[in-house]
Amino acid sequence: MIGFLQQAITGLMIGSLYALVAASIVLVYKSTHVVSLAHGQLVAFGALFFWLFLSGLGIPFWIGLLFSFVLIALVGLIIERLALRPLIGQPLFTAFLMTFAVFIILEGVFVLYLKGQTRTLPAFLPAGNLVIAGLSLPINQLISFCAAILLFAALSLLFKYTKLGLGMRATAENHRLAQSTGIAVKNIFSYIWILSAVVAGVAGIATANVMDIYYMLPYIGINGLIVAICGGLDSLLGALVVGLLLGVVENVGAAYLDPLVGGGVKNVVGYVVLLLVLLVRPYGLFGLSRIERI
Amino acid sequence: MRPCGVFDKSYALDIAIIRTWQHWVILISALILLYLFPLFGSYYLASFMNSLAITVIVVLGLQIVSGYCGQISFGQSAFMAVGAYTSSILTIKFGVSFWLALPLSGIVAGAIGIIGGAPSLRIKGMYLAMATIAIHFVLIWFILHLKITGSFKGIYPSPPSLWGFEFDTDERMYYIIMTVMIIMTYAARNLMRTKAGRAFVAIRDNDLAGEVMGVNIYYYKLLAFFISCFFAGIGGSLWAHLITVVNAEQFTLFHALEYIGMLIIGGMGSIPGVFFGVLFIRILNEIVMFTSPILARTFPWLGTSPAAALGLIAFGLAVAIFLIFEPRGLAHKWETFKASYRLYPFAY
Repeated sequence: MIGFLQQAITGLMIGSLYALVAASIVLVYKSTHVVSLAHGQLVAFGALFFWLFLSGLGIPFWIGLLFSFVLIALVGLIIERLALRPLIGQPLFTAFLMTFAVFIILEGVFVLYLKGQTRTLPAFLPAGNLVIAGLSLPINQLISFCAAILLFAALSLLFKYTKLGLGMRATAENHRLAQSTGIAVKNIFSYIWILSAVVAGVAGIATANVMDIYYMLPYIGINGLIVAICGGLDSLLGALVVGLLLGVVENVGAAYLDPLVGGGVKNVVGYVVLLLVLLVRPYGLFGLSRIERI
Repeated sequence: MRPCGVFDKSYALDIAIIRTWQHWVILISALILLYLFPLFGSYYLASFMNSLAITVIVVLGLQIVSGYCGQISFGQSAFMAVGAYTSSILTIKFGVSFWLALPLSGIVAGAIGIIGGAPSLRIKGMYLAMATIAIHFVLIWFILHLKITGSFKGIYPSPPSLWGFEFDTDERMYYIIMTVMIIMTYAARNLMRTKAGRAFVAIRDNDLAGEVMGVNIYYYKLLAFFISCFFAGIGGSLWAHLITVVNAEQFTLFHALEYIGMLIIGGMGSIPGVFFGVLFIRILNEIVMFTSPILARTFPWLGTSPAAALGLIAFGLAVAIFLIFEPRGLAHKWETFKASYRLYPFAY
């Protein structure tokens, strides 16, 4: 039993990373109805910038954090300006394919920069384990877990109670209608890409805390997309709940099923969950179902 | 638009693919050139053409399900893997000849494609795209963990032979691959003029309206997936017997993304577009391959072997530029060129 709980808690920590990546995807969907494949790259670049400031230039933690947020926000803004703004008013599927092109371009830049090496962040959070009732919790992961939860709360409040959040939700409904009621759709696109890039950057820094930075890192974006779709693309709560769940299921499944089927369960369990959820509830567990008219 | 002087006096003339004797001359001489190519082309060119033709077969399948039926599939490379493994297992473990294993692997890949296409009954758009990504990883996981597929070691099929003649070099396989490609292209081109092809287009344009008009969308969506995966299976089988080493590393998600990119650049919903797209991407790749050592020497900060990364950047940029400036792809450019050529010297 204690072994199971330990696996579940380790999964919960990983799950908070998935939830953050998913949150950045949900943000973009919630305000523009564009589904983004490119966020895996934003995660990777967030981690890379932070590494650059912390290890490469030796800048103190807080200033490095600030600089890497500024840089990653700039990347988000550039993506929005160059790639997605020309597609406002086009079918949404074109924008989806565009984010796929952006993913590949950034992947090229990432691989070009890394040159096949791995980069490891120095330990920037307090090390050690917190032991509660026989379960050990690494403190650095606990800190990033709490940061993730706080970020989620802030984002939910933004969408629910501010005028900007209202404008974003209106833009998601219909670009043209929103524009005609006086919402600057172009600005909404810029703001949301900056915001979601920063969230992805936070996810990247939290990920690099537990993983190396190497060429497969951007593919965490696909896990984030799985979580976002399973939870419902327009639901931040769904992203949080399903993200944590997926982390737990992956870790527990890998621990108990790997000996039975011969390994590799961790890589595939998310996809199986995605297929099952899509077949039962096509709009995700917490998503709004849409009624279509001809 | 029709060439000048073609009046479609009968229904047969109206639906003809090839309308004038000039077309016939061009077609037949092109086919003769295609078959004589290995005699004067180099070994490198023959193997380049082989991989080009196999990609064309696979992307033709993708064109049917994504370009015509509107169901975006990122699973094409996994279905190609299914075809490759089926053909290898049939020839090695069951002693079936290649000539029977080729269509059988298409059918097996198609049958698995029906299972893979099942989510399309409930979801569409990018939800379906994500589901096909999931199917890709699940299929590859099965390939890596079943005994019969040789798991990580892969499998080693032998080249096909006919009456004692071994097709064991790229030049010899060239004839089989080209013949299959021509048959498949003809089949795909004709399929779009049948009832099923029209139904696919109806589903793409508006599935609800299509259903109201009496198109059985469930049946035709699954049919589209079957046909598309049949093409992928045939391509995979040819690939297996050409390379004679099959392992799961050769069928990555990136290949599936590349096929979608080829469709976007070539033009969705056009058979010539497949050829344009595949040629464009492959030639772009070759250009990057040749220029990257020069670039690496000129700009040392690029590292010693930037070819893979530069290839990714060039491919992504090409897709992005086409999405913004010519979403209908090269096929549309080709149509407008033909129209202006036929109208010359008039503007319209």
